[in-house]
Amino acid sequence: MSVLASRSLIRLELARTLRNRKFLFFSVLYPSLLFLIVAGQSGAGAQVDGSGLTVPTYMMVSMASFGALTAVLVGNSERIAKERENGWVRQLRLTSLPGHGYVLGKTASAAVVSLPSVVVVFAVAAAVEHVRLAAWQWLALTGVIWAGSLVFAALGVAIGYLATGDAVRPVTMLVYFGLSLLGGLWMPATTFPRWLRTVASWLPTHAYAALGQAIEQSRAPQAKDVVLLVVFFAVFTGGAAWLYRKDTLKA
Amino acid sequence: MTTAVTTTGTHPPTTAHAAAGAVVAFERVTKAYGAVRAVDDLSLVLHPGETVALLGPNGAGKSTTLDLLLGLKRPDSGTVTLFGTAPREAIVAGRVGAMLQSGGLMEGVTVAELVRLACDLHPRRYPVEEVLTRAGLTGIADRKVDKLSGGQAQRVRFALATAGDSDLIVLDEPTTGMDVTTRQAFWSTVREQAGQGRTVLFATHYLEEADAVADRVLVLHRGRLLADGTAAEIKAKAGARRIRFDLDGGIDEAALRGLPFLTALDISGRTVRIQSSDADATVYALYRLGVHPRNLEVAGLGLEQAFVAITEAEEARQP
Repeated sequence: MSVLASRSLIRLELARTLRNRKFLFFSVLYPSLLFLIVAGQSGAGAQVDGSGLTVPTYMMVSMASFGALTAVLVGNSERIAKERENGWVRQLRLTSLPGHGYVLGKTASAAVVSLPSVVVVFAVAAAVEHVRLAAWQWLALTGVIWAGSLVFAALGVAIGYLATGDAVRPVTMLVYFGLSLLGGLWMPATTFPRWLRTVASWLPTHAYAALGQAIEQSRAPQAKDVVLLVVFFAVFTGGAAWLYRKDTLKA
Repeated sequence: MTTAVTTTGTHPPTTAHAAAGAVVAFERVTKAYGAVRAVDDLSLVLHPGETVALLGPNGAGKSTTLDLLLGLKRPDSGTVTLFGTAPREAIVAGRVGAMLQSGGLMEGVTVAELVRLACDLHPRRYPVEEVLTRAGLTGIADRKVDKLSGGQAQRVRFALATAGDSDLIVLDEPTTGMDVTTRQAFWSTVREQAGQGRTVLFATHYLEEADAVADRVLVLHRGRLLADGTAAEIKAKAGARRIRFDLDGGIDEAALRGLPFLTALDISGRTVRIQSSDADATVYALYRLGVHPRNLEVAGLGLEQAFVAITEAEEARQP
């Protein structure tokens, strides 16, 4: 019953998201446009320092990660905060839907939208910038970036339950731009001054993109990045669950 | 002007025995926000098939009572049960349908899509078409939820509350924002639902709605149950029959004031107006005085006046 119920909520969330052109532009097309701008600026064959990867290859993963981040973080946090405020969350609590079903529905529908945002960046990179990788690399990249976006979906839920009203958008944007920029999704962290590079190396977004770049380099991911992502996932999920429970008791 | 009204419900006090088979049972429930007791040691039982109005001025605790009933809030002390179980269990079992004033709607979807979701979420669902028709939404089924008027949004909330075969329907100020015609159609739908053996509980500001629809009225004031009975009983409790007559010749005010069950007396010229808590006895005694009243009228007070009288009496007792 509850699976069926969650499914129909997910279906409706999805239908609604796919109708939201502004959101689709920012999560699906915008990362590809940014990729073209950044990759197009570099000379042919230019490499990102110390990575052994060309700028387009390197930035493809950054921008795919950025697209997935946009899809799962921005939509979730603002929607949840708004629906907590207008009482939709209360109304849902008067149905048989289990309490976590709402969060599950939000996350699942965000995950469905984040997949095209990853794939479109890949397609543009392959077609326009002639990025070539082995088949297993394409598959592994898609899987890792998609699965890794769950870390930020949890963060989006946490922000949605933490902030209210006018505060949601600024908080979301601050976290979103801060993590994107400092994590090196917009430009390689290798171009940062040393102290900023140290900061970046501890951010979840940096670890997230580093997983993808390791696949491109055909090497195993750094243990530090994997551990970082796992820890951040645990912290964000725990925080979201705690805030959710607090909200339920209060409402 | 009016006598103090005591809280003597027509239903037995809540005991474990009385609560057996009850649809709703509050047992000594208290919920406070800081120093304010929104619900104060409230006990009440709703029985299957009743249509119950919850009346009270703003801040009387109606919303908190409904939140506690639906398990959206937890009592500080006391217990709330629906069908003998925790509220959440009853909701999951599909036994309760509810519309809240504070209940929002999902934006960016159509009316039909939202109603379909509500049906999918109900363990004893009705067909979507049927729910739309009953709530009078067929004409606006394809409209976006964000584009609805206040009255239309209320009808959508009603549709969500009646998406399946629930045993208890809870409606919080359901007709807010509806025009008169819609309101009438709405209540006939609610009566229909009640006629199928469901228990209906609604909170309202419109006292005529309670008078016309409910077979039991609960008056809530400062989180406590002030009165519990039929609309007629509540009116009677407030000294709520009005007797009016003309007297020729001298009027013996002292004798009139001595009439039994009299709660208010007003003499202007030859016209005498009396409020009585037992009009039959008062009129009988009036004739026994040996006077000859002309143009005698006995009429009920509106529930509104009765309600004001009851809450004022309570205010007077608690300065």
